[in-house]
Amino acid sequence: MRRGDLVQLLGPIGLVVLVGIIGSLGFVSPDRQVEILGALVSVAIVVSLYVFVGNSGVVSFGHVSFVAVGAFAAGVMTIPVTLKPTITPGLFSLLARHSLGNVPSLVLAALVGGVFALLVGIPLMRLSGLSAGIATFAVLGVTHNILANWTKIGPGPLTLTTIPQTTGMLQGTLGAVGVVLVAFAYQRSRFGRKLRAAREDPAAARAAGIDIHRERLWAFALSGTLCGFAGGLFVHQAGTLQAGDVYLDLTFLTLAMLVVGGVGSLWGAVVGALVVSALGSFLLDAENGDVGFVNDLLGKPLWGGSRLVGVAAFMALVLVLLPSGLTNGREFGLPRLPRIRRPVRGSAS
Amino acid sequence: MTEHVQTLLDAVALGSIYGLMAIGIGLVFGVLRLVNFAYGQLVMAGAYALALTQDVSVVLSIALCFAVVLALSLAMELAAFRPLRNASPTTMLVATFAISYLLQSIALVRFGAIGKILVVIPQLTKPLTIGSLHVRWITIVTILVAAGVFAALTLFLTRTSIGLQMRAASIDSETARLLGVRANAVITVAVLISGAIAALVAVILPMAVPERILVTPDYALRETIIVLVGVVVGGIDRLLTATLGGFTMGFLVGALSGFLPSSGSWPFTSSVYLDSAVFMLVIVVLLLRPEGLFTRSRRSVVDRV
Amino acid sequence: MPTADAAPILQVRGLEVRYGSVPALRDVDLEVQRGEIVGLIGPNGAGKSTTLQAIVGTVRASAGEILLGGVSIRGQAPERIVRSGVGLVPEGRRIFAALTVEENLRLGLAGRRSKNGAHEALEMVNELFPVLRESRRRHAGLLSGGQQQQLAIGRALVAEPDVLLLDEPSLGLAPTIVDAVFEKLGAIRDRGVTILLVEQRAQRTVAFADRTYVLANGELRMTLGPGEAGDTDRMVAAYFGS
Repeated sequence: MRRGDLVQLLGPIGLVVLVGIIGSLGFVSPDRQVEILGALVSVAIVVSLYVFVGNSGVVSFGHVSFVAVGAFAAGVMTIPVTLKPTITPGLFSLLARHSLGNVPSLVLAALVGGVFALLVGIPLMRLSGLSAGIATFAVLGVTHNILANWTKIGPGPLTLTTIPQTTGMLQGTLGAVGVVLVAFAYQRSRFGRKLRAAREDPAAARAAGIDIHRERLWAFALSGTLCGFAGGLFVHQAGTLQAGDVYLDLTFLTLAMLVVGGVGSLWGAVVGALVVSALGSFLLDAENGDVGFVNDLLGKPLWGGSRLVGVAAFMALVLVLLPSGLTNGREFGLPRLPRIRRPVRGSAS
Repeated sequence: MTEHVQTLLDAVALGSIYGLMAIGIGLVFGVLRLVNFAYGQLVMAGAYALALTQDVSVVLSIALCFAVVLALSLAMELAAFRPLRNASPTTMLVATFAISYLLQSIALVRFGAIGKILVVIPQLTKPLTIGSLHVRWITIVTILVAAGVFAALTLFLTRTSIGLQMRAASIDSETARLLGVRANAVITVAVLISGAIAALVAVILPMAVPERILVTPDYALRETIIVLVGVVVGGIDRLLTATLGGFTMGFLVGALSGFLPSSGSWPFTSSVYLDSAVFMLVIVVLLLRPEGLFTRSRRSVVDRV
Repeated sequence: MPTADAAPILQVRGLEVRYGSVPALRDVDLEVQRGEIVGLIGPNGAGKSTTLQAIVGTVRASAGEILLGGVSIRGQAPERIVRSGVGLVPEGRRIFAALTVEENLRLGLAGRRSKNGAHEALEMVNELFPVLRESRRRHAGLLSGGQQQQLAIGRALVAEPDVLLLDEPSLGLAPTIVDAVFEKLGAIRDRGVTILLVEQRAQRTVAFADRTYVLANGELRMTLGPGEAGDTDRMVAAYFGS
């Protein structure tokens, strides 16, 4: 691997680790820690989404389905067996009688997400453009509808509670870093490169013998696996879960984060997730009257609910004014100034 | 027997509403190649306008609803659609997704999550009894209004010069402009007609669909999703196929919810799984006919993206 | 107004068009006087179509001036240029196949400067091209190539433009039909419409037009009069550079 490639990785990983470290500092309030953790989980989800959308150039409105099945699998399988009959009555006996630990739960979430994505992807990846977008939307609709009603596999219309909150700052950071690493490895791999070639010029890629359908399917399944894993992180952070938590709002939020950052790059996915999360936190502070200059400017705290409107307006604005996002679809790069960095060791290529 | 007739009539009425929304979405897609996910929020804005003015006269209230929705449509066109003229269909779809979310959050902040009860014309919700058949007046009115709108629009598109220009712009906007067709004028007219239809839906929907009596920030969102899907499934390239797609979805939803039992322990066995059933069907149709269920051409604009 | 008549109806000065960094047209000057038929010929890729596209505003001119009746139209939207008196018969005709012949003609009315006289204009075109009247309810896609070309010309004419620009109207037509098209162009000029004709058929165009510009490699090479139609040497020299 060349040094330039590692520099590209440096930005996303460095930023995620930095956020994780800031979140672990002693003086950071618990509320703030929750927000930072939420931002890290968002990074995991958005980067997982990016693996498919960014590399293939096909927009998917259905990826939150994979987050949802991962989250529900991890949630249902980690609440204590003794509590299951009260929290989620009606489960299949296999699900009702077993529970998993922290790590197996995340692995299960990833597996469920991946298998589901693979099954869905086999037929769906034949579509393109608007048809594909609408079809992925339909998948989201089916998934949500079943999760929100079928009590044999989950709480149905009820809320899942008492889920162990194992996603702390360490797991959150490691989880996000892990997802970024997999995404980076994929886009540098033979598979990733083929898919990106197909994104740029489908006809030429086909002429070069690239099976676009198959490459898309791999990306879709990998992306679904990561989404499932991120769903596991999500549910173990929140501690509670209902079907509405992983439906339209999350779809919109994650998609917008990706587009705000720039769909075409891993760096864009990370930046988008963090910038939108940071804006949300800032506006929430302003609503609570914790931001001095906003108080001075308005003479009072920002009115309640500004966070929602502000975030949505920001995203709409970026989408309309900068369709290729804040990073303009570019990977992280250092400014070309005098080279004083030491050569990166161990960069076998 | 009469029960089935009632269910079918209700399904036709629901199909008519979805068909109206499909016309609104299809018209704008024709001239702009833009799938407007925020269309439901136009209906939502209209419904709030109606709900907040229930103490004034019905006519004034409806007039206000139209004014609000038309103004909002125009604002969308100027602030968002125009800057996005040359973006790809999917970028535009994501952008309107953002606009939809923005409008929802504004409504949430301004009016709260608790809905407002809206009854526009109470007389229309009363039943009409013919023999053993009980049909609500609104069911009949809805079907007639939708048929009327479709007929009027057909006349407009074939008989007036601006309508003809709109059809030409939908087929090939560059050539239309080379003949002197003012693209922005045509687009503005399409956006306004589409807005007027949204306002009409805002008036009808709370009366026709019992669970839509409550106006909330996500009002008409579910309908929009189903209609959007229907429009693409039907064939978004042409207004007729798009409308048929929307109508079919509404009819299916209406018929299935009438005929399916209201509870069941497995997916697809009861009406709570209605959305799943409909969306599964959509996926199957998209796989079999990605260019649209009702289109005749083999390749469509949707596929060329 | 004698002064207005003396000024060229269409004047292009120092026109330059670039596709990216590649220049497609360099310093092109041309003039069309009221009532003239002016030809524009040249080999493939010489920039003939680009010239017309720059005039109607579908490609951006990076330098130069385009004047219609002495007023600059450069940088305006195509529909505005068309509405100020430039009619275009585009390459490949581009008729609306799914619309009827009559609807296609009515679309042309969008380019009119005044709403009055639309009916008369349609009548005029139907007289000029009787076949359009006969098939007015048919879908335009069902017409033959020659009939479609007549429709494209008629559609531009109902706007009663000052200048009619034609982009290779004879392309893909049988020789006898090409004769008919040129004959019609003469009839159109006789009705007072000025014509700028882009063509591949060089000799034919030179013989037919009052003046013919030769464009090669994005530059104007020479102007030929009808008498020079037989002067093959000059034309070859202009086409392939001297």
